[in-house]
Amino acid sequence: MMALYVVLATIVGTVLSSALSILPGLHAYNVLGLLVLLIISLGEAGLNLPPEVYLPFMMGMIVGWSMLNTIPAILLGAPDESALFTVLPGQKYLMSGRGYEGTMMTAVGGLGGLFFLVFIMGPFAPTVIPVVQDVLRPHMHWVLWVIITYILMSEWPKGGTTGISGWPKFFDAWKSLGAGLLTFFLSGLLGFIILYRPMVDVEVAFQNIMPAFVGLFAIPWCLLNVVSGASVPKQFVSKSLEVNGDVILRSVGAGGLGGGFAAFFPVVTGGVGGLLAGHATAQRDERVFIMSQGVSKVVYYVGAFLILFVPTVSVKRGGAAWMIQALHMPQGYGEYYMILASVAIAGCVAFLMMSPLTRATVWLIQKYNYRYVSFIAFLIIVALVYVVVGWEGLVIAAVATGIGLIPVLYGSRRLNCLGVLLLPIACNMSGVGQHIASFLRLI
Amino acid sequence: MKGFSHFITGVAAASFFPWSVQAAAEGNPLYFILGGAFGILPDTMDFKFYRFFYKHDIYIIPDPHKPDPQAIAEELARAVGMAQERDKEVRVKLNTIRMGADYWQQYIVKFDAERQEVSVRFGPVVNTGQVPVPNSEPDNAPVGVAKFPCNLVQTYESVTTVDIFDGPTFAFKRDGEGRSILHFLPWHRTWSHSLLTGAFFGLLCWPIWGWKAALVVPAGFSVHVLEDQLGYMGSNLFWPITKGRFQGLKRMHATDTLPNFIAVWTCIMLIFWNLYRFQPAPVYHFNFLQLILYGTVIPMGAFGLLHRFLSRNKEEEDRVIDVEREEADLLTG
Repeated sequence: MMALYVVLATIVGTVLSSALSILPGLHAYNVLGLLVLLIISLGEAGLNLPPEVYLPFMMGMIVGWSMLNTIPAILLGAPDESALFTVLPGQKYLMSGRGYEGTMMTAVGGLGGLFFLVFIMGPFAPTVIPVVQDVLRPHMHWVLWVIITYILMSEWPKGGTTGISGWPKFFDAWKSLGAGLLTFFLSGLLGFIILYRPMVDVEVAFQNIMPAFVGLFAIPWCLLNVVSGASVPKQFVSKSLEVNGDVILRSVGAGGLGGGFAAFFPVVTGGVGGLLAGHATAQRDERVFIMSQGVSKVVYYVGAFLILFVPTVSVKRGGAAWMIQALHMPQGYGEYYMILASVAIAGCVAFLMMSPLTRATVWLIQKYNYRYVSFIAFLIIVALVYVVVGWEGLVIAAVATGIGLIPVLYGSRRLNCLGVLLLPIACNMSGVGQHIASFLRLI
Repeated sequence: MKGFSHFITGVAAASFFPWSVQAAAEGNPLYFILGGAFGILPDTMDFKFYRFFYKHDIYIIPDPHKPDPQAIAEELARAVGMAQERDKEVRVKLNTIRMGADYWQQYIVKFDAERQEVSVRFGPVVNTGQVPVPNSEPDNAPVGVAKFPCNLVQTYESVTTVDIFDGPTFAFKRDGEGRSILHFLPWHRTWSHSLLTGAFFGLLCWPIWGWKAALVVPAGFSVHVLEDQLGYMGSNLFWPITKGRFQGLKRMHATDTLPNFIAVWTCIMLIFWNLYRFQPAPVYHFNFLQLILYGTVIPMGAFGLLHRFLSRNKEEEDRVIDVEREEADLLTG
């Protein structure tokens, strides 16, 4: 009977999140946060749900969302930060009439990522993670600083490609680099303000970062689509994808490395995982790149939640793990294998949901003007921020949008917006956060 | 190698110094940051600063509306001739052809030393990922061919593809035997890729961060230079004592996937090993061979076997494509 609960809860969670994930700007963690509040309220009212119901349900939600949220990222141009790198190649597919194909490729990648988690990482994690955790525990903070250094140093100039050598050429090249640095430090400043002077209610404190993220990552794309008035060409629904086993293998290798790294290290997000997936393996094949982003995203979100269940360690990574500790602390191999089974079931369900939901979205953007669709997406995002966080969230989102527009306008790397998390958290982990906050008169 | 490979190699180099690990465990990330930053710095100096100030004698700016391969070939041949006449280095800048926000017209330049000629052919329009736009390859693309007046010695590859962002620079210089020496990207891997420059940076950092940093900095810098030596172009390893670039070992291209991945993975293992061995009281015990066996040999071996199995059909496809490539080369040659 319990097995049936697990299967049903997983399926319901996956289907629900699959449907929700095509709403641009809505993060699975927003829904999970509300769900945790609901479960606590039910408990207080005397209706206690067993963990065998809500844990698989939550895992189903995370799997479904992490796989299907590439639909708004690619087809509506409204990514969350972990899908950041899929937007450009994804929109290339969209603009050449292959939006369906591009989206389905990330789904195949996601399925590959789940296979990697369940069948490769799953059996070895209880043995490997304690060793890795023991060695790396005192070193988490400098890894963040090293990542920040790399993000800031690894952006190469895009301008300065024509003309006579000299200062004008140099300044032209440095326009995008300067904009990138500015973006990083401004979003870092915003991060300090959000962290030390939270504007949102204590009850929805876990939603604190949501308005900043949608402002930094999703809204600028929507606005760009509205302003540029891009029209989407006729889309083709292909019967097969131009991928083979080797392309999937290389994608899983690259994405597994990036997503796994992001899942294990605190505050390193899916966006950084995506960056590493591309850079660490020097992939130039566009198919491998876009699939590896799908792998990285799934491995990051699902892997981070999964680590909580590894019986031999006590590690919490990612928003879902922090939220669930208010309800239940997983223990033992029974729950670990149960959650691995949920991942496998949810992966199958989410993959089956991918094609019809992608087709529906493709139909929508073809039926209606892309500019209107982007505008509706923008309105949905704004409404969600208001509903989830309140008007204070709209203020944060507006400021974040201003910062998020800088890379859009200057052609610099959007990942610099991650300064919102990386900078304050790295400063805190190194023990200088309080001093900086004090200097900024935030405390 | 790619920027990330250089960066993580610098971090790995820093991890070999016990004080880096000790300071990091106590909350000070300085040495690892320095290792990574100076690991990527040689390319940063070249690509973000030096190249924008590098003076050229000839700028070739193709017309995007009327691309003329013959004009480009003639300008290149003229540059070879100028180097012979002037007896000084002649630098030529080939500009890229931007066709849109994300599209570039590709063209291919080939120097044929035997025939003493340079040929230029226009290829497909590519996106910024260098992936050709379908059906953009011109049918019967005209080939521009121009003769140059002397023997040419190529220090790099004979075929150069010009497509995205900043175009390449060629420098031609007459040698003692009346030949022209062709240097590809003459502004790259010169003073910025010298081991002595790394040592200079070390000295510069000494008064700021102390002698420990002064050892980490040249270590991170030097591994970058030595990694680059595995490629084709080589570096001027002892500038300012030596004047030219030492030839590379020609074992890999900077963008090759496998060597980059191997470098990154090896560095991850080395960093992990160094963090482990400098632990004051480790809970788990293993030796270096065990780490390499379980951390590299088994997973990489399994990956390699699977890759070989899954790409067995692709190798046949690649052979067909190679033949097509040779035919395309014959057309341009």
